[in-house]
Amino acid sequence: MRNLPTIELINVTKTFNEGRVLAVDNISLKIEDSNYVFLLGPTGCGKTTTLRMIAGLEKPTKGTVVIDGKDVEEIPTEDRDMGFIFQHFEIFDHLTVWENVTFGLEMRGYEENYIIEKAENALRTVELLDYADEFPSIFGNPGMQKLGIARAIATGAKILIMDEPLGSLDPKVSKVFRHELRNLIKDLGLTAIHVTHNQEEAMAIADKIIIMRAGRILQMGTPYELYENPNSIFVANFLGETNFLQGFVLKILDNEEMSIWIRLGGPKLNCNNFGNKFNLDDHIVISFRFEDVYLFPKDYEFESSPYDWSKIQLFNAKLETSRFIGATKRFYLTLDNGDKFLSIKPGTFEESFTAGEELIIGIHQDDIHVFKAPKNLIYELSLS
Amino acid sequence: MIGETLKRKNLNVEIKWEEIQLPLSLKIEKFFSKPIYRKSLDSITIVFFVLVIIGPIINIFSTIFLNIPSISEDVFNDDLIGNLQWLNILNSLGVSFSIAAIAVAVDLVIAFPISIILTRYNFRGKKILDALVDLPMAVPTSALGFSVLLYWGIFGVEPGYTLIILGHIVFTFPYIVRNMKIVLEKADVLYEDAARTLGAPGITIFRTITLPMMKEGVIAGAILAFTRSLGETGATIIMAGLVETAPILIVGFRRQLELPSASFLAGILISISLILLFSMKFFTRKVGFPVKRVWPNIERFFSHKYFRYFRDALMMIILISIFLIPSFFILSQIFEGDLIGELFLGQDYKWVYLYASFLSSIEIGALAVAINLIFGLPFAFIITKRKWGKVITFLDTMLDIPIAIPSAALGFAIFLFWGPAGLGLFQPGFFMILFVHVSFSFPYMVRPIIGVLESANIGVEEAARTLGASNLTVFRKITLPNIKQGIITGSIMVFTRSLGETGATIVVMGSIRTIPVLIVDWVEANAFPSAIFASTLVILFSAILIFALRTVRKRKR
Repeated sequence: MRNLPTIELINVTKTFNEGRVLAVDNISLKIEDSNYVFLLGPTGCGKTTTLRMIAGLEKPTKGTVVIDGKDVEEIPTEDRDMGFIFQHFEIFDHLTVWENVTFGLEMRGYEENYIIEKAENALRTVELLDYADEFPSIFGNPGMQKLGIARAIATGAKILIMDEPLGSLDPKVSKVFRHELRNLIKDLGLTAIHVTHNQEEAMAIADKIIIMRAGRILQMGTPYELYENPNSIFVANFLGETNFLQGFVLKILDNEEMSIWIRLGGPKLNCNNFGNKFNLDDHIVISFRFEDVYLFPKDYEFESSPYDWSKIQLFNAKLETSRFIGATKRFYLTLDNGDKFLSIKPGTFEESFTAGEELIIGIHQDDIHVFKAPKNLIYELSLS
Repeated sequence: MIGETLKRKNLNVEIKWEEIQLPLSLKIEKFFSKPIYRKSLDSITIVFFVLVIIGPIINIFSTIFLNIPSISEDVFNDDLIGNLQWLNILNSLGVSFSIAAIAVAVDLVIAFPISIILTRYNFRGKKILDALVDLPMAVPTSALGFSVLLYWGIFGVEPGYTLIILGHIVFTFPYIVRNMKIVLEKADVLYEDAARTLGAPGITIFRTITLPMMKEGVIAGAILAFTRSLGETGATIIMAGLVETAPILIVGFRRQLELPSASFLAGILISISLILLFSMKFFTRKVGFPVKRVWPNIERFFSHKYFRYFRDALMMIILISIFLIPSFFILSQIFEGDLIGELFLGQDYKWVYLYASFLSSIEIGALAVAINLIFGLPFAFIITKRKWGKVITFLDTMLDIPIAIPSAALGFAIFLFWGPAGLGLFQPGFFMILFVHVSFSFPYMVRPIIGVLESANIGVEEAARTLGASNLTVFRKITLPNIKQGIITGSIMVFTRSLGETGATIVVMGSIRTIPVLIVDWVEANAFPSAIFASTLVILFSAILIFALRTVRKRKR
């Protein structure tokens, strides 16, 4: 393997307005070579600031940025040899497409032949070679971003930094575009950092996701790890569609299991208590994905099914209404105590329940995540 | 396997671009992009700003303070004339302020309908009318004043108080209309449409919806016009007869070398202008217009379209007969009198003076543009890019001082600071004129550049840096092409202001003459045909400049 640059942040803090605004709060992370890493988080969580510090466009207030084993504090942006792709493209509109792409190559003082070869390659990669002599104003947003990508990769920089690169494209275009972007990055073998607030985009193409919130890193891991094992209410809520119910710890069964009681006459469930994190009577929040909720008719004969039901938690709920939305069907359910939750099934799901019907609900014990209830629960669930 | 690794290593070596020789220009730019050079340039710019603009003004106050005995002797207790000097000063201040107030009031009444006609109406010839209204701003005021003098001479108006007012309303008018037009163009017509759908008649809409949106432009324009009228010298000398305004008095004191009196009056004028400037900065937002009450029936009656037609027609007649024709009346006089005999065949070689002063005017204007460009660009960058908090607010306010204070007073302040009475580095003459012109036109260069810098996209500069361009390279290849319009606008404004200035020039000129001063001299010496010829020359020259300026603006859109 080639040794590609690694990026490391060590205890980096960034404040604005003479310390009054804390944008990034003492974060550390390491990005290894040939990884496509996402910084994911809601608006204002410090992800863009983090990115700009890596690129040298902002100076950390505290801490060090290490690129390729070197502390880059004294190295200005222009000497860091990175490609940067902007949300609003930032194409030089007074220069032609060709001059835009050769800009970075000329700044590096390459020979003319080399510049021509590299620029042609880059433009061919994004299929803009035919427009080389035009001014970029002829492009719409997708064309502009293609040019932005060509301009960033033409220099041959091995680190690619992207700040909401798909944020200015309309959703349909961006869904196609993101796979092309991933293929390109993998073909060129780049180390890439991609900032976005769009969790679907991150889940679709990331090697690794770093979830940020209020200037801190909440969790990092592969999309699968984060989806299956969110470490906080926020992460559970941010990735995918999730039900949240409140309750109390009723009984600690053994080191790995406990029994909980959904509040005010709700059902009692068994959950995992790995590492014995919870105590008796703790106020807790459980989360489970919409798609992990199984629905059975009232008269379903569990005994006749060959399935192992030992870890499935079963309880009753009333079906309020169901909605067919093309690819999926949504079932709106209510517990005896009035708490509401949702189940989602493929559009082809055949069972036809009627509104008002009592159903039996099944959730696998491993799909239920338990968190301590924070004081500001409503705020936590609002994704802010 | 090992070979494969080596080959890949070689590939890596190929992309180590630090080892490649950069072209010389990039190398130089990279070298000078180091923070230390940026900091030195910032410091040099600030030092320039302090020496040229703030220094002389502080100096004039300290001079007054240090010379209280001689001032009180000269101004208040002269052996021969007692406190006559003080009475003169008081009288001239009264004249100057009443003229400025009346001129601005008249301008305001006419500027409201005219600015609305120029922004909200569409008619053939609108662009030409617009250009004609703007033109007096670029024409040297002494040429303009001379034209006004000749025009009203037909109707028997003698030089004096009334003629000064008639002259001042002409050359301050564009400042007010321009500022009103800018805010009107920015104000959204949709609000007015909304008011119309709710049943408001035209006058009510103007008073309650449009006027509050125009507020800042109206106040800024009025104060600018007021200070310009207060500081005007060239045209006023021509039109004044025996009346003395404050700037004329300063020029007179300076000619008779009564420096204590001159510095006392200059100090008073500067203080008043500064107070006006600061009150504009701080109170513009707090002033309210009467919008609470409406009188539906009366306002509906007067909003009738016949009233509107009548008003528009009346305003156009006034505009043409009091503003436009007087401004350009002089062009019709070019063939009156014995021009050839006086200008070319006379014993005193007037055409040589004309040629020489035209040349000095253009030289001074061009050098003022160059110097202001060198220091104005970094200054605009300091104002827009540096995060120095209160220091920036301070510099930003100080920047407007040369616009606000009468140029004769500023010229005198610089004469005191740099001339023989102060540091003694300059003698009155070419370089001192240049110095003064650089000083009072500095904001005209910096303001447009700040304007384009503030609206310029910082993102493209960052993009260029991530592609490996050093700060100076970014400036040359990305920033400069984007702010070109502002630089050209600023340069033309500086040039026209320098070309038209009289008061400040007279104070520091020594034996050199510029075109406006020459016009004043010739009018005073009754050499009318030559003065008319010189005036026509500068009016045409300014018309070309204004035309160039408008083309630049148009391309921006």
